[in-house]
Amino acid sequence: MTLRPTTVTDLAALITESAAKHRALRLIGRGTWLDGGAPVARDAEPLHLDAFSGVIEYEPGDLTITVGAATTIEELDTVTAAHNQWCPLSPWGADGGSVGATIATATPGPFALVFGLPRDLVLGLECVDGTGKVLRPGGKVVKNVAGFDLVRLMTGSWGSLAAITRISLRLRARPAVDETWLVSLDAVAAARAQEALRRSGTPPIACEVTAAGLLDSASPAGLLVRIAGNAAVVAAARHEVTAAGDARRVDGAAWTQLRANKTQRAPRIPSSAEVRALNAGVQRAFDPARILNPGIMG
Amino acid sequence: MLERAAELLVYESDGLPGYHRTPSLAVFPASADEALAVVRELAREGVPFVPRGAGTGLSGGALADGAVLLGLQRLKRIIDIDPVRRVARVEPGVVNVTLTKAATRHGLHYAPDPSSQTACTLGGNLAENAGGPHCLKYGVTLNHVVAARVALPDGSVVELDGDDGGYDLLGAFVGSEGCFGVALELTVKLTPNPERIVTLLADFSSIDDAAQTVSAIIAAGILPAALEMMDQATVGAVEASIYAAGYPTDAAAVLLVEVDGAAVGLDEDVQGVNRICRAHGARDVRIATEPAARAKLWQGRKKAFGAMGRIAPHLVVQDAVVPRTKLPSLLARIADIGAANGVRVCNVFHAGDGNLHPNIPYNANDRDESARVHVAMRQIMQACIDAGGTITGEHGVGLDKLPYMDALFTPDTLDGMCRLRDVFDPERRANPGKVVPVRYCRERRPGKLMVDGRGQMVDGATAATITAESGA
Repeated sequence: MTLRPTTVTDLAALITESAAKHRALRLIGRGTWLDGGAPVARDAEPLHLDAFSGVIEYEPGDLTITVGAATTIEELDTVTAAHNQWCPLSPWGADGGSVGATIATATPGPFALVFGLPRDLVLGLECVDGTGKVLRPGGKVVKNVAGFDLVRLMTGSWGSLAAITRISLRLRARPAVDETWLVSLDAVAAARAQEALRRSGTPPIACEVTAAGLLDSASPAGLLVRIAGNAAVVAAARHEVTAAGDARRVDGAAWTQLRANKTQRAPRIPSSAEVRALNAGVQRAFDPARILNPGIMG
Repeated sequence: MLERAAELLVYESDGLPGYHRTPSLAVFPASADEALAVVRELAREGVPFVPRGAGTGLSGGALADGAVLLGLQRLKRIIDIDPVRRVARVEPGVVNVTLTKAATRHGLHYAPDPSSQTACTLGGNLAENAGGPHCLKYGVTLNHVVAARVALPDGSVVELDGDDGGYDLLGAFVGSEGCFGVALELTVKLTPNPERIVTLLADFSSIDDAAQTVSAIIAAGILPAALEMMDQATVGAVEASIYAAGYPTDAAAVLLVEVDGAAVGLDEDVQGVNRICRAHGARDVRIATEPAARAKLWQGRKKAFGAMGRIAPHLVVQDAVVPRTKLPSLLARIADIGAANGVRVCNVFHAGDGNLHPNIPYNANDRDESARVHVAMRQIMQACIDAGGTITGEHGVGLDKLPYMDALFTPDTLDGMCRLRDVFDPERRANPGKVVPVRYCRERRPGKLMVDGRGQMVDGATAATITAESGA
């Protein structure tokens, strides 16, 4: 029987039952991350969470959105673009991946340096922990220090503490001018130009070294640069980008391609015994039966 | 070390004058090693303790009710500043603005800037996940802490590093209000100083127009460094004080907007803000570019809480956050609540974040007025929660906001928070009784000593019984 709950109540009941039976579960949103992380115990049963999908609440004037965790990055982009907004989450990986997986794996993207990591963009969430309890920490407002921070704890926990069902995120208004440039440079020069642009007075919102063949077989290796802001800022930034090397303007879709080419990070084991002990304590507190993605944290 | 009642009196309140709790003892270690030795001694003796920085907190979080107060303000060494990596390593007692001053020669500053920044410590900022006016653009403390060396309540030391593997324990520690341990050393980000800064003051004859302007500026894609609102009551208090900033006292509300960044392009943002303010009914927009003129505009805002001391001897300070689009209706609702209860609400707040500070000056010796203030506050908090907001955006829960926690979170969520606390402090000796109401902390480990709601050491089973019986 396929495990595919459609309500948070059903999910909680299912996890409670699994905990009692010590049945290991493999959390699957859109299934794009199954190779990520350390191997999950082989007998873990797939738990499909794709029913928790779609926009739950979106008030553009608040620049926040609440979505089901299985909502794809692509849908998030489409929905917000209609209101001239965007979520800078844009993680490494294909756009068919889910918002939930992005938060669960804390996968950053090319805009993280300027707009923040997933931990900086997630405002609140709903999840079911390994004991079957529904937790709703955080909220949907952009500033919130009420209570101990279970939002940060769940972000990057790789589904080993809880199954995330909904997520509230911070959005941004789209900049007035937004250009993407590909600068042809060899690897050493690209790294140097990247550093110089990032420290300039009008830094790009993203600047990534790319191999040859990103857009087509003829596209050169070098630097993919995105400059955005008001017209005057972009004009100044454009001057610096074109001075960095042989630059040509390309479609913004290049970022989707660049992101899709990158592989996800795997969780690393904490460096000290003391921190490993705290990690083990966290796991005991939220998944004492060790049924959620067991083994994935390494 | 202080132990005489008269000496301890100084430490019975923090920045919120309504609460008084007396510590049994106050200890002020002179170094991180001494602080660690104190934490270890407290662990050996099983004694509850409360870490404290400068005592400027606005939630009663640093009050020690019979526990040992661990003052960290003597740990004020800036260990090093790395201008290339743009990070600083500091001890927890370093005053917020002191770090900024030290970083100035590198063209850098520490971005989170609570109004108390000339007094508050970075350790306290870390514990509270402090904000400030410029957090609209630059983010709160969480976004600026890279690592922390932490003494856990059991006396062990952990290095929490954002780059380390495993769970985001640094993220969990930031804002844990002294309940997870004591930071002995912090590594924080430094931010390049903007090339140019312009401050605008717009005055409105309607508070609703001012609130609508806030949303319009953000929606236009302009991200000001700060976007603050003050209502007429606040402006009146400021202008009557020594902090007078030349705000128009007949305005229903003023907006203080700051834009910063590269010199190129800044005028476009300044004119954008100016245009939006005027389109939304601003009577006048003043534009200050010189440091002295900008400082004067800011002075009134940063000293507004102090200026309210002219109105009445006591002040309740709230810190709720609502979705930005709810600001106009919430401000109207708050005015209604104030009128219905016969109390005077002064609003001065981070409008760009939707972070309200409805403050009520009152006389705590007047029992009738105190009661009405209490009712008004409860109604305001409930209105903010109903609007989809939260009860604290930057001050922390401490003691003051404990009564609102179960209106905001489900019992299971509060229980989850307790479980996280128990990972760091299974004996519940660090800042006991704060943040999460004790009755939601049901998880018990039989045989382990823990602290009940009154700060007494009891075994786990007894604590659960006492909690259940007292309904506390």
